[in-house]
Amino acid sequence: MTDVPRTVPLDQLPKLRELFEALNSGRHLNRHHDHALWVELEQQLKHYQTLFAALGYDLRIDGRGYAWFHTADATSTVSKNSRRLALFFLLLFEYQADQGQHLGKFHSWSLDRSLLQVLWEKNQALLEAEDVADVDGLADILNTGARYGFCLSEEPHWRLLPAVYRYLDHFEELAAELRVQKTEDVALAHWEDDV
Amino acid sequence: MNEYGFQRLVLLNSAGYERAELPLDDAVSLVAPNNTGKTSLINALQFLLIIDKRRMDFGPHSADASRRFYFPNNSAYILLEVVLPEVGSVVMGCVGKGMSHDYGYFVYRGQLNIEDFRGPDGSTVQEPRLAQHFERLGKVVYRYEPNEFTAALYGSGNRRRNEALDFTVFKLDYARHASAYQRVLTRTLRLDKLKSDEVKEYLLEIFKRELPDANIDFKAEWDKAFAEVNAERAQYRAALALKPTIERLADEQAERLELRGRIIHFRPLVDTALAAWQQHYDETRVQLGHALAEAQKQSHKLDSNQNAWVVEQTELGQRQKALEALNEEHATLARRFALTPDLAMLERQRDDAKAAYENQVARVHQANQVAPQALRRRIAATKRELESLHHQLAHLGSNLYLALAARLDEARLARLNRILSRDAMALPPDRFELTSELTDVIRHSAGEELQFAGLRLDTEGLPAQFSQRTEAELQDELAAQQSQLEQLQTQLSTAEALEKAVQLQRELEKRLREAEQALDDYRRFLELQTQESLRYDELERIAQRHAELSDKLRRIAELRTQYRKQEREHEAAIDTLDAQHRQIDRLRRERADQTPEFDALSELPHTPWLGRQNFSLDELAEQLEAYQQNCRRLIRLNELTAAKLQEIHHGGLTKYANESDSEREMERIIDFANHLAQEAEALARKERSAIVNVTVSLRELRDGLQVFKAQMRRFNRLISGRQLSDLKVFKIEPQEDAPLVEAIELLINTAEKADTGETFELFNQTSITDDAAITRAKDLLIRAGEARGCLRVENLFRLEFVVGKENQREEAFADIDSAASNGTVLMAKLVTGLALLHLMQDRRHRIRAVCYLDEASALDPRNQRNLIETAREFGFALIFASPTPQVTARYCVPISSRGGVNRISRLSWQILEPFESQNAPLEPA
Repeated sequence: MTDVPRTVPLDQLPKLRELFEALNSGRHLNRHHDHALWVELEQQLKHYQTLFAALGYDLRIDGRGYAWFHTADATSTVSKNSRRLALFFLLLFEYQADQGQHLGKFHSWSLDRSLLQVLWEKNQALLEAEDVADVDGLADILNTGARYGFCLSEEPHWRLLPAVYRYLDHFEELAAELRVQKTEDVALAHWEDDV
Repeated sequence: MNEYGFQRLVLLNSAGYERAELPLDDAVSLVAPNNTGKTSLINALQFLLIIDKRRMDFGPHSADASRRFYFPNNSAYILLEVVLPEVGSVVMGCVGKGMSHDYGYFVYRGQLNIEDFRGPDGSTVQEPRLAQHFERLGKVVYRYEPNEFTAALYGSGNRRRNEALDFTVFKLDYARHASAYQRVLTRTLRLDKLKSDEVKEYLLEIFKRELPDANIDFKAEWDKAFAEVNAERAQYRAALALKPTIERLADEQAERLELRGRIIHFRPLVDTALAAWQQHYDETRVQLGHALAEAQKQSHKLDSNQNAWVVEQTELGQRQKALEALNEEHATLARRFALTPDLAMLERQRDDAKAAYENQVARVHQANQVAPQALRRRIAATKRELESLHHQLAHLGSNLYLALAARLDEARLARLNRILSRDAMALPPDRFELTSELTDVIRHSAGEELQFAGLRLDTEGLPAQFSQRTEAELQDELAAQQSQLEQLQTQLSTAEALEKAVQLQRELEKRLREAEQALDDYRRFLELQTQESLRYDELERIAQRHAELSDKLRRIAELRTQYRKQEREHEAAIDTLDAQHRQIDRLRRERADQTPEFDALSELPHTPWLGRQNFSLDELAEQLEAYQQNCRRLIRLNELTAAKLQEIHHGGLTKYANESDSEREMERIIDFANHLAQEAEALARKERSAIVNVTVSLRELRDGLQVFKAQMRRFNRLISGRQLSDLKVFKIEPQEDAPLVEAIELLINTAEKADTGETFELFNQTSITDDAAITRAKDLLIRAGEARGCLRVENLFRLEFVVGKENQREEAFADIDSAASNGTVLMAKLVTGLALLHLMQDRRHRIRAVCYLDEASALDPRNQRNLIETAREFGFALIFASPTPQVTARYCVPISSRGGVNRISRLSWQILEPFESQNAPLEPA
């Protein structure tokens, strides 16, 4: 006895269109922002997974409260946006870690222009290399992030949404790899010394 | 090993098995190639343990297909032997009913002996004969309806009957766990299918009782706390939105109250006045008629007087003009005849003129009678006569005539005188000669005849040409001729100057006329002069009379104007009165105040009328019209206010809809709308108070979360005592949903501050960001609650499967399936599932059940042993399914297949016993 694909009762998915449009536009759904969509997704998860998989979409849901369509090859625009967002979040996490902030608590951070100013001043060269010319450029990145469901614009602040874990996880992995690399390098150095 | 519990499972003619007998009292390794019915065998237990068709799970197979599969006929059996503490061995069975593929439940006491189901003919006993058959065997078979069977199995609900067998297998701590227990139990038959979300669901179900109030519906709590505030806010917003409408309503209501007061005051007055009106009208009408007639009469009288006077005045005017003309004439004549002494002179002048004229007339007349040519001939003749006369006169003594007379007798002379011209006769002697021959010739002529040689003349009748006159006669004749010549010459000259003469005549005639006219005029002058004083007297009289008449006429005009005015006034008064009467008549018929509402008007709220208190009958029409208008306006206002009230209701402002009447409601609404600012403040206070109140339920949520976490720690202790594969750590950790929990904490902390005396000022005085934080927290909780219909403890956390291997960092996974390798996951699921069932079971009533693990070869023997041990501790016997025997189990049971029919014979069971003294691997017995 094995599981076979089931039929999807579309009448039980009243928010299908809205959900699909949001996800297909590259947006991340966040439990604490897109409440209604999230609840339907949560309640009809099996149907949505079946349906989207059948349509060739890779619906991913993170238990920390966000969902998205995963794509392996991003378009150039998305990748540019994604690259800028990655850079921004990297710089932000780096800065916040330096400030002694718990990175897992990013949802409670309130990002304002003074913070952006500091980020800009500290990383001007890097940012300019990514065509981010000023603090407004950083604000633009955040606004782009808001479109993709990474943050929320609450004038005059921005707040990060759980989808940012995608970046945070990635950075932590990178950091871990770097540490391993460093350890291995050190070990190799010792071995070479021994030899 | 627990002595109580499942002993054996037997399938007869079911699920493709002709006969299957499976031990369940210890770990079993069910050995068969894939797709030979291992899972079907285990799934058969669902009919006996789950019972409720809705909860059974046959994977992709439908319930109907499964029914046909398990109960193809009425000799298909699924049998389970269980040893229970109270009753010992009991066999629970499910038997097919035949064509319908339906099935029934039965139970009997005793051990399960397959031979008991063999009939006298060696075939399997059919369902209808089952009871009878067992009766022969001395056993009582109890039949159960599915719900009764469930109740008995789970020891819940009403037992069917006293005599029925008590075969409670699963004694749960709480009867309400039955549903979750069954679901988990279903899973124990396929624990590899256990899903992460199910784990959370089951855990919540199990711990529900432990939570302070696991059923808190946060939305409901919120609504309860905010019900009043929300209702009042809705009312406030509705009032705010409806303010313009309410203001108009207020105006209309004020007007209505005023109108009511006015109508209440005037209604009796109008009634009284209407009663008196007809008489008033009739009397006034007659009076005005009389007055009008009188005025008209006076007016007519004046008209006739005026006409007479106008005629007289006209005549006087004419006379006056005539007299003035006479005076003028007199004056003119006086100036003209100023130098004329008397009438005689004028008469003389007239006579002279007359004579001149008449002469001239005669001359002209004569000139007109003789033509100038004739006059000239007559002048010439006259001149010749004169010449002849002069000749005669000159030769008066010696002329021929005398010479002849001398010689001839008278008769002959006369005859000769007739033929010789007068001038010849007068010839002087020197101019003639007389011979005898003449005498002779004449002598010869007798009678009247005269004969000359060759000529004879008859002289009879011839006039005498010549007569011998005297000198005097000649002189007279000469004078006469001379006079005639002169006359003729004058006539000629007159005739020749006739144009001038006629002109002159006319001139003279004119002069004559002028002279005569002057004479006449003078006479007229004399006459006028004589009458002058009379005329002046008359003129004076006329002027006097004229003035009198003018004065009279003027006064008449004034009087007439006066009478006309009176007439018009009377007419107008009559018209007005008639119009009033018609109007009143019409209004009386159209009275708008005849509805019952107007009778009860004084009982309705109204503003007492303080204006003019009364009116006269003359004003009745006007007042009645106004009164009618007021009545209609009041009716209209009733409609308008009702419509507005309805509009206000539709707009959502209904808080005063329960007032005793609409008047009172309007009053309250208007008052409410007038105090919106104060209402807003009160609303804000209530809102804050509600936030404080709602945190009571938030505290319960938070406490629930804490309790759940404590329970989870207990649960983790239960499952972490087992070594799972190579895992050092395996636990299920509730991870708080930080935003939600923080939001709850924030509100609770805020409310605590409020509770400790800082009260509402706290909300007023906190900084904007703090206030915003509270708002955000509140909004988050509301929206999260709304999206889910309510906010529950389970919404505050998610479960993470934390896995830690030796010498490695612990990792957390949302999905148990992704936590580790297949075998490890399998174990984790099994342990988790068994722990869940264990937690639900009544600790005092442990009955060993079974759980099933497919693909058991994925686990190494050490892990298999671990699992078997763990299952045993939780009260389960493990059934491993795999194509190869698993030697960790006590029983190795192969499935044999013959002719497409499966079979498990008790004889093929292999029982593996450990050597007590050695720890060496066991060989199959």
